Amino acid sequence: MEILKAERLVKIYQDNGVPVSALNNINLTVSKGEYVVIAGPSGSGKTTLLNLLGALDKPTEGRIYFEGEDITTKDKNELSKIRLHKLGFIFQAYNLIPVLTAIENIEFSMMLLGISDKERKEKALALMDELGIKELANKRPNEMSGGQQQRVAVARAIVNNPSVVLADEPTANLDSVTAGHLLDLMEQMNSEKNITFIFSSHDKNVIDRAKRLIILKDGRIDN
Amino acid sequence: MLLKLAWRNIWKNKRRSLITLAAVVFAAVMAIAMRGIQLGTYALNIRSVVELFSGYLQIQNKNYLNNPSLSANFSVHNNIINALKTTKGILGYAPRIYADGLISYKDNSRGAAIFGIEPDKEKNVTTFVQNINSGKFFTSDSSNEIVVGEQLLKNLDAKIGDEVVLLAQCYDGTLGNQKFKIVGTVKLGVQELEASLIFMGLKSAQSLLIMGGKVNVIAVKADNLKNLGAIENSLSEKIKNPDLRILTWNKVNPELEQAIQLDNVSGIFFLGILIVIVAFGILNTVLMSVIERFKEFGVVLAIGMPQMNLTYLVYIETLLLTFIGLFIGNVLGAAVNYFLIIHPITFGGELKQLYEIYHFLPQLRSTLEPSIFLNVSLSILTISLLSCLYPAYKVYKLEALKGIRHT
Ligand SMILES: Nc1ncnc2c1ncn2[C@@H]1O[C@H](COP(=O)(O)OP(=O)(O)O)[C@@H](O)[C@H]1O
Ligand SMILES: [Mg+2]
Repeated sequence: MEILKAERLVKIYQDNGVPVSALNNINLTVSKGEYVVIAGPSGSGKTTLLNLLGALDKPTEGRIYFEGEDITTKDKNELSKIRLHKLGFIFQAYNLIPVLTAIENIEFSMMLLGISDKERKEKALALMDELGIKELANKRPNEMSGGQQQRVAVARAIVNNPSVVLADEPTANLDSVTAGHLLDLMEQMNSEKNITFIFSSHDKNVIDRAKRLIILKDGRIDN
Repeated sequence: MLLKLAWRNIWKNKRRSLITLAAVVFAAVMAIAMRGIQLGTYALNIRSVVELFSGYLQIQNKNYLNNPSLSANFSVHNNIINALKTTKGILGYAPRIYADGLISYKDNSRGAAIFGIEPDKEKNVTTFVQNINSGKFFTSDSSNEIVVGEQLLKNLDAKIGDEVVLLAQCYDGTLGNQKFKIVGTVKLGVQELEASLIFMGLKSAQSLLIMGGKVNVIAVKADNLKNLGAIENSLSEKIKNPDLRILTWNKVNPELEQAIQLDNVSGIFFLGILIVIVAFGILNTVLMSVIERFKEFGVVLAIGMPQMNLTYLVYIETLLLTFIGLFIGNVLGAAVNYFLIIHPITFGGELKQLYEIYHFLPQLRSTLEPSIFLNVSLSILTISLLSCLYPAYKVYKLEALKGIRHT
């Protein structure tokens, strides 16, 4: 089943009035349950593409269909709702909420969905158990290692059962062993829960394990 | 959870939150103490002025205020007495006659402001009788004894015990003329008045001026300054006489009210400045705390937090700090005001003389009047909500990506 479809995407940034072309005529289709890695050198447009696919930004030209719906015409609030209900995000710098504990960070997106206190706790704990991070439950981000924080971030991204999880260089700040564990985790979630993953990387270890690889170069797909 | 988040965010940057808190506490204490002293001192001064002379309220012939003359008179009917006796909050009443006249002793003559009063009743309304300076106050209101202003006695070159002649135009237009004996002097602290003031018994005045049983004014003492409106209404309802007017102290002494209003405006102006300073302090700290967290905010917006919720968060944080600050500020403010009620500030020197010109006590006193606490708290709350508008607007306009990229 086709879940994301990009048609002739163009993104041109204005950098102090100077147009910077970041993406040029991108066509891409992602199906449910795929595990896609977007690779390419720095500046090739990986982040830009993920932002567009993640409904965080709008293309200069082209269309993006999410579950068959054109999201390029939707307004800010509608996009926010789609992100909340359908998408999960993992960031390079983990970006957990610093004043909340691990379990509260995981509960946060459930809270935004209006899920009750009790159900939130149960779900978060069950997921943490599954991901082997139960013992982190009451730690604040600054009491955890990078790898631990990123595992919590993975839990936060998938707890609402999103259709797609987007991750921009999720392993870039981790050593190769920790990065390997994180990839294990994402692969496990992909195969067990059939969650679609799309993430970017320029790390060879990550690219080698990709089930589907899209290589970007100067804003074009170069496979 | 939003509340939990707000609470923890506040304590994440303790120093900044404590500064905001201190600003709110400082403003609240300053404002409460200042307003307390102002309003407490006004009440003190009003009481001292009305108890010195005018009374809290007066019942007058309707023409008396504009034209205080013998013809502006009325009879003290039973329904008036009943009204005064049955209205709650009235501590006493004293009928008076007022007339201009001339007082002569040997070769000296002076203009006289003649007040016919009943000392027994006047005791419950004003401090005339206590203000006796030398000699004694007459006790019968039909004797030929009078009490005069200290200065008048000096101007006449007379002594206590001397006989004087009083001349006045009577109610029927004829000239009344009678001998009286000075039995005492009063000092009210009002130089001008002391040079012409004469107190005599109400009945003696009525017979000198051929007034029958009539009076010009009934001065009324109330148990406090706040319920005067209710007393006024109750009296006019019970008396129902279109020829009479019931006036509260501020109508009888408009200058006093104006002086107080002028001072009050300057006090409120100062308060306004204080509060604006605090507003800028809050604006500054809230703005800093918001901009510092743009990245964090960008992330939660990306996750799908509604923009409005994030704006609420900013408001909740500020409100929490403001409420805590107001709570502490109100408690401290109440302590300061309470202290100043028990230990009023008394001063001397030039300031004292200045105060005495206005018949004010040379004293600063405070009050625990609830409206002060309420008004100060509401003003600070409002201003802190207003100072939040701009930071909240910035958050409302923040885009997820701009936030995430913010360094
Ligand atoms: N906000 C922006 N404003 C202007 N230019 C940008 C902006 N974001 C990215 N770019 C430019 O777009 C191109 C692609 O950037 P990006 O998508 O971040 O690449 P990658 O993530 O692969 O490193 C680069 O040339 C970058 O300088
Ligand atoms: Mg990038």
